[in-house]
Amino acid sequence: MSKVLIIGSGISGLACAITCASKGMNVILVSPFPSERSQSVLAAGGINAVLTGEDGDSIEQHIEDTLKGGCFIAGEKAVTGLCSAAPDIVRWLESLGTVFSRDNEGNISRRSFGGQTYPRTNYAGAVTGKQIVTALVMEARRLEGMNLIERRYWNDLYGVLIRDKVCYGALLYSEAARTVEAVTADAVVIATGGQNALFGKTTGSTMCDGYAAGKLFSQGVELKNLEFIQYHPTTIETDQKKMLISEAARGEGGRLFYEEGGRRIYFMEDLYGTGGNLMPRDIVSRHIFETGRQVYLDVSFLGRNKIMDRIPEVYELCLKYRNIDISESPVPVVPSVHFFMGGIAVDLKHRTNIKNLYAIGECASMYHGANRLGGNSLLAAIYSGRVAAGDINGMETDPYDWNKEVSEANDLLEKKRRSESKFPVMYVRGMLSDTINSSMGIVRNKERLESGIKDVDYYLSISDKINFDRSELEYFTYSLEGILTLAKAALISAASRHESRGSHIRSDYPEKSEEFNASTIISYDDGKYTSRLVKEDEYEG
Amino acid sequence: MKVKILRQKHPHAEPYWQCFDYDGDRNASVAAVLDNINYRDDITDSDGNPTERISWECSCLQGMCGGCAMVINKMPVLACDTFVKDLKGDTITIEPLHKFPVICDLVVDRGIIQENLKKIDAFIGKYHQGPEKDHELEYRIGRCLKCGLCLEACPNYVKGEDFFGPLFANDSYFVASRSDGDKATIKKNYNDHFAKGCSKSLACMRVCPVNIPTLASMAKMNRGIRDHYD
Repeated sequence: MSKVLIIGSGISGLACAITCASKGMNVILVSPFPSERSQSVLAAGGINAVLTGEDGDSIEQHIEDTLKGGCFIAGEKAVTGLCSAAPDIVRWLESLGTVFSRDNEGNISRRSFGGQTYPRTNYAGAVTGKQIVTALVMEARRLEGMNLIERRYWNDLYGVLIRDKVCYGALLYSEAARTVEAVTADAVVIATGGQNALFGKTTGSTMCDGYAAGKLFSQGVELKNLEFIQYHPTTIETDQKKMLISEAARGEGGRLFYEEGGRRIYFMEDLYGTGGNLMPRDIVSRHIFETGRQVYLDVSFLGRNKIMDRIPEVYELCLKYRNIDISESPVPVVPSVHFFMGGIAVDLKHRTNIKNLYAIGECASMYHGANRLGGNSLLAAIYSGRVAAGDINGMETDPYDWNKEVSEANDLLEKKRRSESKFPVMYVRGMLSDTINSSMGIVRNKERLESGIKDVDYYLSISDKINFDRSELEYFTYSLEGILTLAKAALISAASRHESRGSHIRSDYPEKSEEFNASTIISYDDGKYTSRLVKEDEYEG
Repeated sequence: MKVKILRQKHPHAEPYWQCFDYDGDRNASVAAVLDNINYRDDITDSDGNPTERISWECSCLQGMCGGCAMVINKMPVLACDTFVKDLKGDTITIEPLHKFPVICDLVVDRGIIQENLKKIDAFIGKYHQGPEKDHELEYRIGRCLKCGLCLEACPNYVKGEDFFGPLFANDSYFVASRSDGDKATIKKNYNDHFAKGCSKSLACMRVCPVNIPTLASMAKMNRGIRDHYD
């Protein structure tokens, strides 16, 4: 049977590993830390699926809402597959023991989420991701016991082994041994999450940094739709990060307002009627930005009992980190970077443009188009892992010796260790996030994007001269160049889309354009970045 | 104020204390204090000596991943969940968790947690939905961070060789309650690796960052064990 190397052990990597191992494949599941540390545990609100349709909802409606939310560039065949599989996925999670919340009849509880015609977001309080991780870790453990899944902790991706457009494995860096080694496999699956390091403070994990996408890009893997970055409308800010106030708070009835002359202005309701607070995230974030004022989220009228029953984790978060009791007072919120619709370009089977190399979960670009609907990310994480697993059947004989690649990687690390530069790596990462926050905010323009490209070119020019700080994980040192490469690709993608669509808003091109009713694919060849527009028939494959 | 940290360069090195100055926001979490110290342009200790950045583990920074579990002012806590304003005195003392091997500074290897759960097959297998009354406890156990704080606080847990500690008791109940599998084995493992060794100090419940009521899991399991062997 195939030997599969999966990089990343969040929900997507776990779902892929479990599916591969259940088919008898041998899986190596690589991550620096256990799955409990993955960003997946932060996924709050729920997972979309039409389980009964008794209220008039249907899979067709789920498909339509998803395509509309994604501004019609999400890929119809891909979205149809996703939404059709959703009920089976939720039942599967239930069968693995996921502790979903239950309604009075004992069915899985569901709530309304933004941009959706019916309440179809199935949830476990406001910790749905965490409960799913708990269940998947247990199932993976069963397969570990059967020696079908081998976990490798304290290992990071360094690069992939590619020759003549075929992937034969990956270079893994061991933090313990401080060396790179080659691990060959019949298929490699990348499941490394989003690109948070571009922005610094986001709602996500410090560990999802975008390095894998940037590194693979420089190795010839195409990326897609990098300009589409979701700003979640409701977060609270602390010194170190932006913390998510789950959309569940608005799903349960929460209202957004700002104050003017002592009056509360419920601006989303004024614009869109009673459902205004639950418009898709791109629309709500844009309107909050346009108010130019401090916006508040109010759930206090729900009453303490309902708050503690439905969204206790939101209550705890606001009390702990902002000292605000949401059962008594509204909470000030700001939009913040939350999800990357763009990433590694894949086809319907989650194959990249390199044979035997797959990408799944948030690091891959599929299903969400220009804006993702809440509740579709957990769904896509699991679905994509299962789809990739279903396609893997390779038994390539590796004809190559990878000693040269291993030696080159180790020599490069040794050279970095000898650097006497004054630039610490975290300093450059700080400058990068300042640049990207300024260039790729909620509203963008040509001038800022071009200035961002110029800044990143400078950071790239010094990236091989940075100070090697032994007290940092060495990963931080070698990952910088890949992250900067990704940043430049994202800026070029955003500069090349001369329109406003979904989460990509240009003040100099404020309208949607038929010409851009397509996805941006960007490729790299020896320092040259080339972007092109591709229609869904082509990228879905 | 002063921040006194027990440091260690690598797994086999001798630990040593080092002190830093902190004059930032008192509303900050200890995780933010560590970042504040680490990301000054030049990192120096309280005596002005240049030193290396402090290694510590983090991911979510909001009490949901368990990465930054450590000992602060003698209490096992999450650094992102512990605030300067709530700590007494003018010195914050930070140590790595003592019950796990140190890798570097405040980073420890908690692999034993996963190894022990694997050893006793802690998985659901065939799912069985229990009665509604058990749902609340199962939901709470499903939130377990596997951070190791309960093991650090437990007076009976040493290195996890025979006694696997409170998180194992909770997972045992979780599996027994939600699985149609072989309950006798789960109960035997629970008895061998937890019930026999627990002196019921309940320190685990006082330090759990997600408030898992281990005593409730124990009550359910002990009742189950009695039923099984009687």
